[in-house]
Amino acid sequence: MQVLQRSMAACLCLLLAAPSAAWPQAPAEGVPRPQAGKAKARAPYQSGELHGDERILHALSRFTFGPRPGDVDVVRSIGLDNWFEQQLHPASLDFTDLNARLAEFPAMQWNPENLLFRIPSNAIIRQALDGKVSIPERGALHAVYEDQIYRVAEKRQEKAEKQHADLNKPALGGTPMAAPAGMPAGIEVQAERSESPTPLSKETIGASAAPSESGSMMAATQSPSAMDPIDIDPILALPAQQRVSKLVLMQPAEIDGFFKSLRPIQHVALEAGLSPEQRETVGDLENPERLVVEELTAQRLTRDIYSTAQLQEVMTDFWMNHFNVYLRKNEATPYYLVSYERDVIRPHALGKFEDLLEAVAHSPAMLLYLDNAESIGPDSVAAERAKMAAARRPGNQKKAREGLNENYARELMELHTVGVNGGYTQADVTQVARILTGWTVERPQRGGGFEFDPNRHDPGTVKALGQKFKDHGEMEGRDLLHYLATRPATAQFVSRKLAIRFVSDDPPQSLVDRLAKTYLSSGGDISAMLRTLYHAPEFWLTNVYRAKVKTPIEFVVSAVRASDAQIDNLRPIANELRTLGMPLYGCVPPTGYDWQASTWVSTGALVDRMNFALNLAASRLPGITTTWSPQADSSAGTLLAADAPNAESEESRLEAQIVAGGVSDSTRSAVMQQFQQQSAQATQVASARPFAAQVLRQQQGPSPLERQDQLLAGLLIGSPEFQRR
Amino acid sequence: MNTSRRFFLRNGALAVAGTTAIPSFLVRSVLAQTTSAPNRRLVVIFQRGAVDGLNMVVPYREKNYYSMRPTIGIPQNQVVDLDGFFGLHPSLASFKPLFDHGNLAIVHAVGSPDMSRSHFDAQDYMESGTPGLKSTQDGWLNRALQAEDALCRCGHTPFRAVSLGADVPRTLAGTVPAIALSNLNNFSVGGRGPAPSQAASAFEAMYGESRDRIFHPAGEETFEAVKMLRAANPSQYTPSAGADYPNSEFGNNMRQIAQLLKANLGVEAAFTDVSGWDTHQNQGNVNGQLANRLKDFSDSIAAFWRDLGDDAGNVTLVTMSEFGRTARENGTGGTDHGHANAMFVLGGEVKGAKVYGKWPGLDNDQLNEGRDLALTTDFRDVLGEVVTRTLGASNLELVFPGARLAPANFLRLV
Repeated sequence: MQVLQRSMAACLCLLLAAPSAAWPQAPAEGVPRPQAGKAKARAPYQSGELHGDERILHALSRFTFGPRPGDVDVVRSIGLDNWFEQQLHPASLDFTDLNARLAEFPAMQWNPENLLFRIPSNAIIRQALDGKVSIPERGALHAVYEDQIYRVAEKRQEKAEKQHADLNKPALGGTPMAAPAGMPAGIEVQAERSESPTPLSKETIGASAAPSESGSMMAATQSPSAMDPIDIDPILALPAQQRVSKLVLMQPAEIDGFFKSLRPIQHVALEAGLSPEQRETVGDLENPERLVVEELTAQRLTRDIYSTAQLQEVMTDFWMNHFNVYLRKNEATPYYLVSYERDVIRPHALGKFEDLLEAVAHSPAMLLYLDNAESIGPDSVAAERAKMAAARRPGNQKKAREGLNENYARELMELHTVGVNGGYTQADVTQVARILTGWTVERPQRGGGFEFDPNRHDPGTVKALGQKFKDHGEMEGRDLLHYLATRPATAQFVSRKLAIRFVSDDPPQSLVDRLAKTYLSSGGDISAMLRTLYHAPEFWLTNVYRAKVKTPIEFVVSAVRASDAQIDNLRPIANELRTLGMPLYGCVPPTGYDWQASTWVSTGALVDRMNFALNLAASRLPGITTTWSPQADSSAGTLLAADAPNAESEESRLEAQIVAGGVSDSTRSAVMQQFQQQSAQATQVASARPFAAQVLRQQQGPSPLERQDQLLAGLLIGSPEFQRR
Repeated sequence: MNTSRRFFLRNGALAVAGTTAIPSFLVRSVLAQTTSAPNRRLVVIFQRGAVDGLNMVVPYREKNYYSMRPTIGIPQNQVVDLDGFFGLHPSLASFKPLFDHGNLAIVHAVGSPDMSRSHFDAQDYMESGTPGLKSTQDGWLNRALQAEDALCRCGHTPFRAVSLGADVPRTLAGTVPAIALSNLNNFSVGGRGPAPSQAASAFEAMYGESRDRIFHPAGEETFEAVKMLRAANPSQYTPSAGADYPNSEFGNNMRQIAQLLKANLGVEAAFTDVSGWDTHQNQGNVNGQLANRLKDFSDSIAAFWRDLGDDAGNVTLVTMSEFGRTARENGTGGTDHGHANAMFVLGGEVKGAKVYGKWPGLDNDQLNEGRDLALTTDFRDVLGEVVTRTLGASNLELVFPGARLAPANFLRLV
């Protein structure tokens, strides 16, 4: 029935679409093309080429995270081809606005070692508690370590007490397993973290936006160390620098109680007026690891929303997904991801594929994520030593070194280069894993970098993929990467994936071949491939116009861009991505997220998209404000019935702003019906009691007219047309 | 079809008149009445993090069990005896009556043949149903529903495949539409209330009239689901007397699955997961971390079973976890990543009161790689039998490609 119903719908589409097929494909001179806001939505199976503003809209929808108001005009004025070339050469663009926004996150410029030291992970704190890491002697950082050590020690204590209690009475059940404290750093912790596929737990992202979580409220009433609310307010009233100093000088038990007692509104007050560095200090004192994850997420969303180098960000997103690394692989991963995105992926996003592949293969993030850091050659010096050690201490329960790990070797071929049908066997996987032994990470718990360890490297020449790879240390692996990067199968694999991202879910083979040809002739030049794509006739066919369904990140970011929202808090956006099943850095398997429609269109997801649209448009997301009517700031409340905007013009205005290329007649009439209903009510209020509306606005928020606009905008963002690009 | 469902159909027709010309969900619902889908429901529970099967279903006659687990072993006099060889962890006591009544079967030394000890790989392989193969796009439970479709052009409601959680899990990914819900009460557009919001009506008209070949059907599906849920009002199904769900996330999920099943929304497959099993450290024995998790687990499932009452007859529930844990306890009072595990199969048609599977033994030379319970039953043999008997999916090559399942090898537990 499912199938039957869908095919009936398709037939219906064809019938209804027939009249629009008679549209002139190339309008004669003097015949005005429809304006952006009025353009009829076109059915995707129409043949022919795109023209005029539709070309601009199409390019903007594919090479950016969606147009912002005014973008079409800008591109029209500088010319589409010029705009595209600018996007391929982002260095020439103006980053003043973006840089000002990114200045909010100073820690995002640090290297992993510095980041781990200054915003310590739980693993670092446990090491400090056990005397393996020295504690900074003074200043705010000293306080951070003292506070975190206090918390870890307290957890250990609680746990010991609970175990004692458990021994004396039967278990009551229903108690979730507490995070094990005091466990040795490393592997065991990694396992603990990776057990749940739900990435970015609420505690890690949403928490400081919503410290009203029952946990902290409970603590406020139960914990003997919780501060009386009276003590908090005077601290919040202090000037910024004194406020931070006061926190730094508090004793660990005191500051623990302070944060546990803090109500959401007080949390906002605590951060008010702080410099970025001061805000980071406060975040560090409260929960260091969460600070890193929040800033990592926030800087990414800031770039996606505001960067002028949109294509670079779209490609960064593409490669972050192609070379996926899961945030919760282990406790150091969030710290390494900062550098992974900033130093490995983004600088190469428009460069040469082989350089990118090399950089990824040398990155601690990938080496740890896919376990190559632990892989040991079966005949290596390290393996011999381990065997001898084991023989000396039989029955040793310590985890034995497991030897070769094939995880990265397999994904390198299956997911990063030649693809699953790239013509390799299981024996090749094992041999490739041998070649890559010794590629590891120096002191991974402390943020160390890439290291080639000759003791772990498997000696001897390896035959893999029909080639001989001579053993010359690290170069053996680099030869392998070069070999893989220059395979026609890799050209095809990468080309198809690009075509799926930029053109359609089922791209024509002719286009894929065109891209693969450029790949091979240009030495894997990603910009050259994008230029080929831009100039390919297949890219400009009307049947690919709006053929792609937006993934959650594309939907959410494009909605924020289209609404020109004022954003003081990015957490609701990060949370929405989790709700929609696409959290940033949260894809557990190495496959990355899918680009195809079927993954993202589901019943639950559509409800969530519609609700996000309504909430965004009505400024109901905390810290995100949208303004729809030009008069809203000053005089909206004083509008009388006579001044009320004409229904149609209001709809056109919002439609032109939000949905590039316009909506269908049926969508428009569904929206208009709402507008007219609301309008009638608003007019009644306004005419019956002219001042009532103004008073209402001042006391209760938006005026009826603003509420109309919010509903209209919400409906447009939730419309089928806006779900496509 | 019970009264409230029929009531909904009639009133639903009035409710949507004027918004969409042909309410397609009505057409489908009518079909659902006439062509009878197999009236069986399958509930799948994933214990994420790798539960310690040897302390869940204890082989208490194995001498080596106690020498390998000096501090975490469950003493013989504390296990809930099942058959003179195996006994349940005392925190699973609420499973004992289900076992004794013949509704609960246990399979031991079962799991994925893949040797991965990585949580995410092993979960991925189990959920895709293709151990060792990363390129599989969909999940085994979705393919089981596809296999059912091949047999029967039955009408289906949007609640056919449901997951209690934030997103559709890998297990349910695929071409058969699935709904993910974390809270039944939040499943509505533009706020909840007795009547659809203004925004919801506008969206319904918009998607209903849309010519978009993807969003038109998806939109209809969505509003059908939202309306069905509102009309069925599952919150009216308060748990039956004696069904005491623990106040935990898992307990809530099980309660909501029971509500959906009792509301007759057409659920065929439901999924949820429960985590906290990765007990590397101080897992405890009769009491402790694992004991607490097991209590929540078994009490939630026992409450679910009791809650269903008469409906329980055509429900089958199966539990799984990505791998077992090491036979020996480690240096920190816990266990590390192992291999084979135990699965529970509960249902009206289950031939329970028995521990199935060939027991490989726990002597040192019987262990997998010298450290874990060896595997004697492929989890796909269990799931293959369950989907054949519940969803009627007989094309097992579609459900578990490459596994070459043969009904002759099934354990005959359903």
